[in-house]
Amino acid sequence: MLAQAGVPVAGSGAHLHKFIMTLSRVLALFGGLVLLALIASTTLSIIGRSLNTIGHSDYMAPISQAIAGFLQKFGPINGDYELVEAGVAIAIFSFLPWCQMTRAHATVDLFMANISRRLNAFLALIWEALLTFVTILFAWRIIIGTQEKMLYGETTFLLQMPVWQPYAVCSAIAVVAAIVGLYATWIRIQELRHGAEGISA
Amino acid sequence: MSNLELGIASLPVLLALIFLRMPIGLAMLGVGMAGTAVALGGPNIVLAQLKGQVYSTFSSYSLSIVPLFLLMGQFATLGGMSTSLFKAAEAFLGHRRGGVAMASIGACAGFGAICGSSLATAATMGQVALPEMKRYGYSGGLSTATLAAGGTLGILIPPSIVLVIYAILTEQNIAKLFLAAFIPGILAAIGYMIVIRILMALSPGNAQVKERMPWGERLVSLASVWPVLAVFILVVGGIYFGWFTPTEAAAIGAAGTGIIAFANGGLSRQSFADAILKTAQNTGMIFLIILGAAFYNAFLALTHVPQEVSNLVVAMDVSPWIILIIVLTIYLVFGCVMDSLSMILLTVPIFFPIISTLDFGLTPEETAIWFGILVLIVVEVGLITPPVGMNLFVINTMSRETRIVDTYKYILPFVASDIIRTAILVAFPAITLGFMRLIY
Repeated sequence: MLAQAGVPVAGSGAHLHKFIMTLSRVLALFGGLVLLALIASTTLSIIGRSLNTIGHSDYMAPISQAIAGFLQKFGPINGDYELVEAGVAIAIFSFLPWCQMTRAHATVDLFMANISRRLNAFLALIWEALLTFVTILFAWRIIIGTQEKMLYGETTFLLQMPVWQPYAVCSAIAVVAAIVGLYATWIRIQELRHGAEGISA
Repeated sequence: MSNLELGIASLPVLLALIFLRMPIGLAMLGVGMAGTAVALGGPNIVLAQLKGQVYSTFSSYSLSIVPLFLLMGQFATLGGMSTSLFKAAEAFLGHRRGGVAMASIGACAGFGAICGSSLATAATMGQVALPEMKRYGYSGGLSTATLAAGGTLGILIPPSIVLVIYAILTEQNIAKLFLAAFIPGILAAIGYMIVIRILMALSPGNAQVKERMPWGERLVSLASVWPVLAVFILVVGGIYFGWFTPTEAAAIGAAGTGIIAFANGGLSRQSFADAILKTAQNTGMIFLIILGAAFYNAFLALTHVPQEVSNLVVAMDVSPWIILIIVLTIYLVFGCVMDSLSMILLTVPIFFPIISTLDFGLTPEETAIWFGILVLIVVEVGLITPPVGMNLFVINTMSRETRIVDTYKYILPFVASDIIRTAILVAFPAITLGFMRLIY
């Protein structure tokens, strides 16, 4: 089982909780699919490149010109590096809300293990709020960044893909991350008020 | 306050925040951004940086290897390869005294060749090896300690995520670092097996040996691990021989382990989703730290702290070896409380400039690679050092009847073997660098 943030007692809060958890889970799975697509495109690109190399190799020509010519038609996917760069950024942004909701960010627990639960819950609230503040900052700034990229019409080198496009996708995800962050902070407030019931992971 | 003083003051502040349980990446990010804003007299430049910096860090081609290796490790744990690896190692070692425990170490080394994470290696092999060791009468403490130690081979034996990060930070060649890690990794496995042999001689308990397997059966069991071998050769060989970039190799490795897991029936819809979600957690965690480190290190560079510290150390005119030992000891101590990746990202930008100005009779590149391997080993020792080593907890929860103090007791000889090996590698850099020199 994956660790997750404490579940509020009942009522409409439970629905909201389920909604936010599902939202971040689906977003993380979407990021995973992007990653899988990158793996597929990279693997195909390598196969294409290898076939092309074999087709051009010295030992291929005497065997059969036809096969050599056929193999030479293959090649790496154009701009596969650029696809990886855009895709991996989208994937990582998509992972962040799930990471925050499941409290997966690395901490050093040793020195606070014997401190009262209340103080720990209080600090946890402060850190969650700061993380959320930073996420909101990121969202705000990357939206401005997207506008600038649109304004200057910057494109990638090989694919001539407008740079603002992956920026825009990441901006949208960052906004979702900010909303998820606000909810995660609200949970920490509840946990502080109700004696930190949910803190287990 | 001068910028230099500001930079120096930031370090205790950062450590205090981390010890107060602030997420490590967030602490580095916060101190880095706040420090830069103070040093530059306002937040405008930081805000301008943020428009592009987060995206450019996340979209780095060389860092994209991290989620790919993580996913590869997740698929590897689902592929059922741990069982065939263990059976093969057992066929060769099972008839010796302590043979089943030695086989666990051997299988961990094999699994480390397709998985770059220590915890995943320990946990995956634990599922297979713990019941078997119990069946053959090994004490609980020895079993858990063996697996906790064996897990560290996951990071030491290439591919290794920590080593990739080190390579990127210090602008070193990943292929050469992987080559250099190979011999120390094998030495680690042998060292652990010697520890098991000594422990068996001191207190054999009820541990039984298996019957000696005929060579025919041994070779058959070896043949069943071919998928592991194929993926390893494709990934690590591909990087060594320059067939692929490291990122491409990681993509191929993830595809390969994914196909193996699918073929072995290890991929249900549920386990597939879990593998992705686990990758999402680890990737998110690592990239928050990477982002934080980028901001914090940029701030430190702005205040000239690494440069000044390096100048100071050089001016002290102490033997380089003493400085190296001090640095490694700092890693050893901090490794006990902090995870390896955060340690590397936080400290390498400070320590690496120092080490690279010192003369160990090696070329600058050799020094960088040798130091990287040494750091990798000492931070890994932290994973198995009582009372807080992460591997100890993970394995101990898998063996309910074993008390954590028993694990603590039996892990100490393994820790000693790590420290002895580090001392040997420090004294004889050629052990680490020989293989690499031979190939390049």
